[in-house]
Amino acid sequence: MSRLTFGVCLTALVWLFSNPALAHHSFGAEFDANKPITLKGVVTKVEWTNPHSHFSLDVTDDKGRTAKWVLTGYTVNALYRTGWKKDVTMKVGDTVTIFGWRARDGSNSAHAREVTFTDGKKLFYGPPAGTGEGGSTPAVKVP
Amino acid sequence: MTRQLLAAIAAAALCATCAAPSTNSTETAKPAATNGVPRTADGKPDLTGVWQGGNGRRGTWEEANSGLGVGGTGVDPAAPANPASQQVITDPAPYKPEAAARVLESFNKRGIDDPAGLCLPLGVPRLALVGLFPLQIVQTPTQVVILHEYMSVFRVIPLNAEHRTDVAPTYMGDSVARWDGDTLVVDVVNFNDKGWLTGTGTFHSDALHVTERYARIDKDQIDYVITMEDPNVLTKPWTVKTTLMLREGTHLQEYVCAENNVETAHYEKILKEGVAYRR
Repeated sequence: MSRLTFGVCLTALVWLFSNPALAHHSFGAEFDANKPITLKGVVTKVEWTNPHSHFSLDVTDDKGRTAKWVLTGYTVNALYRTGWKKDVTMKVGDTVTIFGWRARDGSNSAHAREVTFTDGKKLFYGPPAGTGEGGSTPAVKVP
Repeated sequence: MTRQLLAAIAAAALCATCAAPSTNSTETAKPAATNGVPRTADGKPDLTGVWQGGNGRRGTWEEANSGLGVGGTGVDPAAPANPASQQVITDPAPYKPEAAARVLESFNKRGIDDPAGLCLPLGVPRLALVGLFPLQIVQTPTQVVILHEYMSVFRVIPLNAEHRTDVAPTYMGDSVARWDGDTLVVDVVNFNDKGWLTGTGTFHSDALHVTERYARIDKDQIDYVITMEDPNVLTKPWTVKTTLMLREGTHLQEYVCAENNVETAHYEKILKEGVAYRR
């Protein structure tokens, strides 16, 4: 077997075995991947904290009613590696649009995957849906 | 049939073609180590560097995680807007039936009982497999130090030493190492029983014994082979093969998980209010 083949095999095994979401807090338990949501609002608070960052949005509907939403995403280090910078990328007063998934408890809370800014720039804010819930296959054989 | 399933079958078929040779201990233990592998003054392959587990792509952190991103942290503006979570398939872990039921229960609970949710160290090898955070290896002639950004955990691993007998069981266990040709072999014992081995729910007992084999096969890649033995919960040794990829230019950052771990309260609320969250 060539080293290349061995390497390719290992790569495949990596793909099969490894889960980038592995060992992350369970977003899947808290947020529902079957409840995607898109929100546009004004940023009222930004929290750069671990293990997850958060920001708040005032979202106003067609009837002029405003609701406050809390969005959850990556840890600070991951946000920096994703292109974010504290107090620069997103500030209180900015208008943004987010795509994410709603909290299972029905509150105005969501896991934000992507943030779109008014100039059209997009950045990931959180991991894919279901992160941390163990993927789609358990580690053991289901009886 | 889903795209993920098709891909899994293709990958499994690929592995099947090289399964036997891949278990050849000579190839695993003594790679040629001439393909750009730096060496220390004592002639050993130098594992020093910043590495990423759970991501087999070569390149810098940004290059390797761009687009959809194995770590989901790509900066590529052409990335799919809303990629779904990745499929995870592996051979079933060899748990005893009663232990397997416990693993499956955690899976069905979507990992709400994950020790990581309490900001606890993830243990060995789980901590090295987290793609979202880098780790740094510092190698000297007498010891190897592994620094994990996630949970700010360190491992100080003496070479050619005996296990300590004057320390309590821990999440990361007690590690000693030796060189087997060009492969660094790390023996880990004295674990507590509070961590998970790899995926969701893969608990272990304090009888866990882990053997890690690190073989830098080229400039960018360490073949990382882990064998886990735990007669209390496993029916046989469980071996996993994966890779650590060099991430030049990446620096470890401070990570203080306990800073604002509101998820714990959220989980308690979910359980208290009976919110439907199980699979």
